[in-house]
Amino acid sequence: MKRIAVITTIYRYLSHAQHFADRFLVGYPKEGKWHRPDMKVVSLYVDQKPEGDQSEDRAREFGFSVYPTIAEALRCGGDELAVDAVLLIGEHGEYPRNEKSQVLYPRYEFFKECIKVFEEDGRAVPIFNDKHLSYSFEKAKEMVDDGHRLGFGVLSGSSLPVTWRLPDVELPLECEIEEALMVGVGGSDPMDYHALEAMQCMTERRKGGETGVAAVQLIDGEEVWRAGKDGRWSLELLEAALSRSDTPCGLTDEDGRTQDMIGNGEIYRLVENPSAYFIEYNDGLRATLLMLNGAVRDYCFAAKLRDESVPVSTQFFLTPTPNVTYSACLIAKIEELFETGTAPYPAERTLLVSGTLESCLTSRHQGYIRLETPHLNVEYRAPAESQHARR
Amino acid sequence: MEKRPKIAAIATIYHKYAHAQHIVDRFLEGYGWNSRHHYPPMDLVSLHVEQVKDNDLSSDRLERFPEMKGYPTIAEALTFGGEELAVDGVLLIGEHGEYPSNEKGQRLYPRYEHFKQMAEVFERSGRGVPVFNDKHLSWNWEWAREMYDVSQDMGFAFMAGSSLPVTWRTPSIDMPLGVPVSEAVCVGYGGVDSYDFHALETLQCMVERREGGESGVKWLQAYRGDAFWQAHHTELWSRELFESALCRSHTLTPSRPGFNNPFPTLDELKDIVKDPIAYQYEHNDGLKSTMILMNGLVQDFNFAAYIGSNDEILSTQMYLPMPPARTTLANFFSPLVNNIEQMFLTGEATYPVERTLLTTGLVAAGVDSLFAESTRQETPHLDIAYQPTEVSTFWRT
Repeated sequence: MKRIAVITTIYRYLSHAQHFADRFLVGYPKEGKWHRPDMKVVSLYVDQKPEGDQSEDRAREFGFSVYPTIAEALRCGGDELAVDAVLLIGEHGEYPRNEKSQVLYPRYEFFKECIKVFEEDGRAVPIFNDKHLSYSFEKAKEMVDDGHRLGFGVLSGSSLPVTWRLPDVELPLECEIEEALMVGVGGSDPMDYHALEAMQCMTERRKGGETGVAAVQLIDGEEVWRAGKDGRWSLELLEAALSRSDTPCGLTDEDGRTQDMIGNGEIYRLVENPSAYFIEYNDGLRATLLMLNGAVRDYCFAAKLRDESVPVSTQFFLTPTPNVTYSACLIAKIEELFETGTAPYPAERTLLVSGTLESCLTSRHQGYIRLETPHLNVEYRAPAESQHARR
Repeated sequence: MEKRPKIAAIATIYHKYAHAQHIVDRFLEGYGWNSRHHYPPMDLVSLHVEQVKDNDLSSDRLERFPEMKGYPTIAEALTFGGEELAVDGVLLIGEHGEYPSNEKGQRLYPRYEHFKQMAEVFERSGRGVPVFNDKHLSWNWEWAREMYDVSQDMGFAFMAGSSLPVTWRTPSIDMPLGVPVSEAVCVGYGGVDSYDFHALETLQCMVERREGGESGVKWLQAYRGDAFWQAHHTELWSRELFESALCRSHTLTPSRPGFNNPFPTLDELKDIVKDPIAYQYEHNDGLKSTMILMNGLVQDFNFAAYIGSNDEILSTQMYLPMPPARTTLANFFSPLVNNIEQMFLTGEATYPVERTLLTTGLVAAGVDSLFAESTRQETPHLDIAYQPTEVSTFWRT
């Protein structure tokens, strides 16, 4: 039975640590069965214990210990690494933001503590890192490089790439994408990250595989609509993405009606401060994330494929609170990493998206300039097999 | 250019989130479909609304869509005030509105009465046109049978039923056509003579695809309260299928404080579900199906069955994007409207109305069994055999 260490910022109801780690303790729904991983949480480190902290309760009930340091958690209080895998969750908790409004979660610092133990003890085990690797590409790259250098599996990222899709579509491997667009909502930097990674798990399947990002630009406000009218992003793709939304606001909130939000102009009225994240890939593909708070409340994707007259589109289905079964979809992938030692999809995806987001926020901070991003030359291949929930 | 069909809508009431609003609005305002905002290639030209109250939206819709006219009677809506039938398709939406209930708790929606008024116009005009009847045909089995027989005698296309058979599924799977099915379960929520119908349609749209097709139903027995738990305990229905269905839910009520998604123990189930209800019934070919309403435990509809020669489990959720808590649009009406559109365009129902005739009879039998202290109801009148469509008709694109 694999032994797992949980390293987290906080552990309280509906924090990521709670709904991720709990699934290893009580099981989770998988392919129509209640699945109980053949794994045991043996140690826990929590960085902050706010009101509602559940770490001691869980430790008592499920028979593991809470340790005061990451190294002790990994060694279970002994002299050497005593776990087979690490669940690293640096999400939620009180951490400062930088000038670009990025929350400075200590994921890199936690990860490096693990590396130190791995190096000292001469053995490395798989790590899952929740969400983006770090707010800093440089740090994120070091994390992925550590995995390659020490030869352990690293999996990272959001639940969106692996949750249900409505409809259940996957882009054909090696398809030719002319343009891609994602609609997201929520704040920066947590929710734009989810939306960017959802888009990336689709675009990475294009012909030639992922080539990295050449340049980015972020714009806010009325400029976003002007850019659409100028053809910098596709109105047709926005219509396609919105056709998948279950949550148009405004008139739909008022009297339940369906609406063509572009045709009736409501979208321009409802979104007080739209943002567009423009991504230019090294192979020439252009992709855009539109953050449209006020218009909708879900995450929808659309792409124009060569030789297809109608865009392909889907909604990344964020299942309801409190079950948030989308995180069960991610736990199944983490379990696969822990069981096999190999990540089911490359951490380079998350690395690229971490860096893309950082550069987009730098663009905004520097007056919305276009930024060339030679450092984001992250190349990788998508797994041939679909990784999202479909069984 | 091909002639655009003219459509009449007959509704009990038209307010926010009433079925008439969901359905008629999609014809008027269009809806998201296959990467477009799709406008049905037909014109909704006449509307009759039986109850107009303070929350009415029909006056707003008539004003904003002047090509649609309101009429005070069903006959006038179908004839534009003349003698002859003047439309190419009819929507009958007898759901919501203030109607009395009978002693068995059935809400007496006037679906049969509206249908009969429509059928009189058809007869007078010497022709019928395709008709969609929202939800079950009637609360009264004899009346439902008569509606079906009239459609058969007059030879017009007739579709009816719930959105459950046509909405998204997670996972997006259908019952393989012609596969043996040895037992089926649906775990859903809602009340008697309302959401039980949705759960029965969920079951039926799957099991009708089994080897031999649908053979009709011999008997039904309802279980409630302690009798339910007793039956559950003795595995009158498969515990494994029940649990498999729960494992497809996205809305399992946490059985322990502080946990967001634990799987409930039997004791916890009893604590959470105060009034469990089941309708178990046997089909003429021996298949047993069980419809279970677990109010308090789930807020979605989940299906599980043993299929094939090795009794493998096939399970899925029929997903309802349900406003206002989770969404703003009840988009499960989009695939329903899309199927109705196809019927109006081709004159052929896209799936058999016999499914809804059967589920209508099952609701009535369930209500009767509950009213008769859960006694078994023999259902020789539900000797309704039919074949499913080969092509899947649920929302996949």
